Amino acid sequence: MPEHTAPSIALPPDPVIEAYKKDIDRTLLRETLKLTPAQRLQRLQDVVQTMAILRGAARRKA
Amino acid sequence: MTSFEQLLRSLAQARVDFIVVGGIAGGLHGAARTTYDLDVVYARDAQNLARLVGALGPLDPYLRGAPPGLPFRWDTDTLVRGLNFTLTTSAGDIDLLGEVTGGGPYENLLPHTIEVEAFGITCRCVTLPKLIALKRATGRPRDFDAIAELEVLLEEQRRGESKAND
Repeated sequence: MPEHTAPSIALPPDPVIEAYKKDIDRTLLRETLKLTPAQRLQRLQDVVQTMAILRGAARRKA
Repeated sequence: MTSFEQLLRSLAQARVDFIVVGGIAGGLHGAARTTYDLDVVYARDAQNLARLVGALGPLDPYLRGAPPGLPFRWDTDTLVRGLNFTLTTSAGDIDLLGEVTGGGPYENLLPHTIEVEAFGITCRCVTLPKLIALKRATGRPRDFDAIAELEVLLEEQRRGESKAND
């Protein structure tokens, strides 16, 4: 999403965060960046729905 | 289960002035992390509080985690007396934030937002750099992984933009 009008923010590197970055799966993020915001939100909604179904199933089995 | 669509639609249809922050803002920008609630910063003027009460009233909001039976009135007086509310509703969980650490109230955050459309609803979402700044400002260790993901996301976005400009 382009941010043409928002004021720019300086984000100096934080050594702790830099260490965490090594474990981030960039390929996954590149895929989500190909989606529209609407598609990304729909995907999040689908995940939440799936998790709810799985949790329900796990509770019934217990 | 939280229905982000229903919550956003309720707020948008009532013309509530709000800004999406938190995990859903990250998701709208492309973060892959899952979240189970909707976090919004809302304007605290009297008219907006009335719109907010009207928007969420039909969803039976109640304080999340509070013991059942604890008296809770969903009205403008309650909103005036409080600031940040963690609520559960019939459409799922929503956090209403009068202010956020590092971002202040709605009016301060507004310049750092963009319009996004999802589910046919247009709403305002905090920009990715500001979202990172907000997360950094909280300083919570449990956010380190999320901040790292958002920063990598920003790098990837900028990489994509500079490639497109070549």
